[in-house]
Amino acid sequence: MENYLVAMGVSAGIFALMALGLNVIWGMAGLINLGLVGFFAVGAYVSALLTIKLQLPIAAGILAGTGVAAAVGAIVALVTVRLKGDYLAIVTLGFAETVRIAASNEISLTNGTDGLSGIARPFGADLTPVQFNLFYLCLVAALVTVLFVLIDRLSHSPFARVLRAIREDEQVAAVAGKHVLLFKIKAFAFGSAALGLAGALYGHYTSFIAPDIFVPLLTLYIKLALLVGGVGNTWGAVVGAIVVVTFLESTRFITPLIPGLSAVQGAALREFLISVSLIVILRFRSQGILPEARSHPVVPEVEAQAERVRV
Amino acid sequence: MSGNTISRRRALQGIAAVAGSVAAPAIVRAQSGTLQLGVLTPLTGAGGFDGPRMLKAMQAVAAEVNEAGGLLGRQISLIVEDDQTNPEAAVRAARKLIDVSKVPVIMGTWASAVTSAVAPVCWESKTFLTTVSGADSITLLPHQGYLIRTQPNNHLQAAKHAEFMASIGAKRVFCLSIQAPFSVPTQKRLAEVLPQKGSELIGSLIYEKDKTTYRSEIDQALRAKPDFLYLNGYAPDVTVMMRDLYRAGFDGGRLTQSYALTSKVLESLPPEVTEGAYTTQPSADVDSPAFARAVKRLGIDDPDSYETQATDWISLVCLTIAKAKEATGTALRENVRKISQGSGMKVYTAVDGLKALAEGKEINYEGASGPCDFTDIGDIIDCKFRYQRVAAAKFKFLKIA
Amino acid sequence: MVTEVLQLIINGIMAGTILAVPAIGLTAIFAVLRFANFALASHATIGAFAGLVANVNFGLPLVPALAFAFLAAAIAGLVTDEFVLKPFRAAGFITTAIGSIALTIALENVVRFIFGNELRGYDLPIQRDWRFEGIRIGPQQVENLAIAVAVMAAVFLFLTLTRTGKAMRAVADNPMLANIKGINAEMVARIVSFVGMGLAGLGGMLIGLDTTIDPLTGFRSMLSIFAAAVVGGLGSIPGAVVGALTVGVGEELSLLFLSPNYRSAVGFFTILLVLIFRPRGILGQRAL
Repeated sequence: MENYLVAMGVSAGIFALMALGLNVIWGMAGLINLGLVGFFAVGAYVSALLTIKLQLPIAAGILAGTGVAAAVGAIVALVTVRLKGDYLAIVTLGFAETVRIAASNEISLTNGTDGLSGIARPFGADLTPVQFNLFYLCLVAALVTVLFVLIDRLSHSPFARVLRAIREDEQVAAVAGKHVLLFKIKAFAFGSAALGLAGALYGHYTSFIAPDIFVPLLTLYIKLALLVGGVGNTWGAVVGAIVVVTFLESTRFITPLIPGLSAVQGAALREFLISVSLIVILRFRSQGILPEARSHPVVPEVEAQAERVRV
Repeated sequence: MSGNTISRRRALQGIAAVAGSVAAPAIVRAQSGTLQLGVLTPLTGAGGFDGPRMLKAMQAVAAEVNEAGGLLGRQISLIVEDDQTNPEAAVRAARKLIDVSKVPVIMGTWASAVTSAVAPVCWESKTFLTTVSGADSITLLPHQGYLIRTQPNNHLQAAKHAEFMASIGAKRVFCLSIQAPFSVPTQKRLAEVLPQKGSELIGSLIYEKDKTTYRSEIDQALRAKPDFLYLNGYAPDVTVMMRDLYRAGFDGGRLTQSYALTSKVLESLPPEVTEGAYTTQPSADVDSPAFARAVKRLGIDDPDSYETQATDWISLVCLTIAKAKEATGTALRENVRKISQGSGMKVYTAVDGLKALAEGKEINYEGASGPCDFTDIGDIIDCKFRYQRVAAAKFKFLKIA
Repeated sequence: MVTEVLQLIINGIMAGTILAVPAIGLTAIFAVLRFANFALASHATIGAFAGLVANVNFGLPLVPALAFAFLAAAIAGLVTDEFVLKPFRAAGFITTAIGSIALTIALENVVRFIFGNELRGYDLPIQRDWRFEGIRIGPQQVENLAIAVAVMAAVFLFLTLTRTGKAMRAVADNPMLANIKGINAEMVARIVSFVGMGLAGLGGMLIGLDTTIDPLTGFRSMLSIFAAAVVGGLGSIPGAVVGALTVGVGEELSLLFLSPNYRSAVGFFTILLVLIFRPRGILGQRAL
């Protein structure tokens, strides 16, 4: 049981890293990104391939995975700079699918749909599986903390204020002399770096990655995590990730209690419960459990919320 | 999701787990009444079509064993989790089975990526894993013996299938494969073996899953003028292809896996579309009654490859536990080959085997999907293949070769 | 070579027309309610299964079964929009869109709960293709094409000739002004949810005619449908048709120089290319 809870803690931590990354892209800059798993996959593959093929140390692999994901994020932001709203959503979704298709088909590099097994684990040889699990929870928790502090400080910086200004009204920001494109690219790259970091960490934790992992469903979980936690709120990203993993896991124990269901009905009911619970939370706390703290000196709270609607 | 007889204990366990209770040891004691075996199989997602059939086959054997008095004096119950056909979700589910339900074995993974993701969790926790996943890489993982697979590897399958196609007069074979780990190795092997038998592989292509039509892919294949098509995919895509081939007026032969063209699938398609198609599945020798017993147990005429393999996993697991007198993953690893192969008395069902073991006999389980003899890395050593041909939306048995 | 290209174009048009029907539904909903409704996928599945019940259990022929598919999905669309999605709209379009993804998973699992995962098929005869000079065309595809074209014509006539249609266009064009003029925006929203999801259901059944159906039927085609609507320009009904044909033909033509396992990627590159040059789709984002 303890080991299970620890493992779920690691999952929640990795989700939290992704949600924190998304919070920069979406929560602060208001850019829609439905391709989270694409950047997650880039981080995972880069780190895994560098440690497997070039025998780089794991830390170097993770750094490289983070960096490449950031670079890819910058490129995607640059290419899609003119796109807004739903158009940006579908292009980023397409980007993630393209990454997955490429990973499935470029067999010589990625090993195709077979996936990459035997990805090195930090101290994997020196620790028992249970110890490794605990160690990884600490590692992920530490990284979540670091990123949390970073983003939290960032969110009070002039940089974040410009991002929010862009989010609320791009033209006003541009008129105020801000280089909107550069800010957008920076935000996208920074958020993608967090996604890439999460991907690299995931690979070195499970020691296996394959294209099938990087499906849109994972993106949805993270989106929901941030929405549930509170978009634009750094704590919200972490809380939301924990809430989502809790829902995913606790439903597992609920459906078997209902008598007379076939296994498929039980599984269907479980997914139904997960989605409905999240709908209910969103419905009754549309600003999330922890809404974004307002630091706006002029716009009062109510108007500010109406403003956010347009994001 | 398992039998209702234990729903109250499961309820307790559920509540405890939801609350993250520290009362775990008490719960474990409460469970000692039944012997719990883990099932991790796709019930939703792309594999959702195959997982429930495998589960039913396992439940049927479990019920039979329980009726005959159970295992080690206890009734068996299956703890079922949905792998969602997704490696990330599957790993979480496997964690639950291993760390919370403490099962000695996990049966039923389907997608190769799911099996590869779950395997390390299993061997590190000394939990046994049985699978149908076809990727050759799976048995090459450093699993220390904690894994067996009843699905013949691609090397063996493709060679036998090539022989069959040549034997029924196919001269120009074209292979259409879904994008999956088995695609390329199968094509390579077909290209090697077909010429040895006086036939040839004139071309192959790999297609994407989840498309609503494969007209253009089929045009591409038919331009090569094949007289026989090897359709290497799963039911959702193979059925689309079957329709498109009929429309295109292709009148050559078609061979596909029995799991892609099950009796249920036959019902869902117009009969003229499937007429004359061949299916194949791994099988025991023609004189083995194991398949007939599975037919009877499952109440269906033509159990497909996945149903027979699922039958064999749980039978092997029960017999091994009885042999070892211990329900742990390590005991399964150490003892599975003592009942699956060797010179013992041949048995064809779990119940018969349990009876023989109780009488102190050595046994050799011969399954519905084949002789179930395993190499050191957990692959089956050899098996025959059962071939059927569709006539008027029914399967006609052709041969076992 | 010429026949090959021609054949690919024909195949693409056939695939595209089927996508066009649900894409019209999606784009109509977007025009009025201003959010991408991902619940389209499960409504397509609901339509496919409703048609199945009508056809297999009640023995209805194709066209009445299609009407049944439309109705079932339309009613589901109306009800879920009223009780699930409508309250989200105040929270912004992205929250609504994400809510609609959660809704689509919930509904998919309702279908799974009732029908299970087995593959099912309609009880309709299958015909061989016609052949002209080496080009083959399926009679059923032509029939589907005719149905799709008829549906598009009906939607067009509805929007241009009826009072309700005109009201819908007015709301899509300028909700404020429509409000001032006394058009009941609530009612228009209900009608568009009804019709839009009905079209999704109809499209789901059309897709099911060529395949077998299961709870994932709608989900499998969702990305292509979205791609079609986006390429054409969200909110534009002619755009949905143009977009569907572009995506359909584009994916097929890519087979000339790419292996079939890259087909979806080609679809997305088409989208990206179109959007780089026309950030609001081929026919721009305009009302209906």
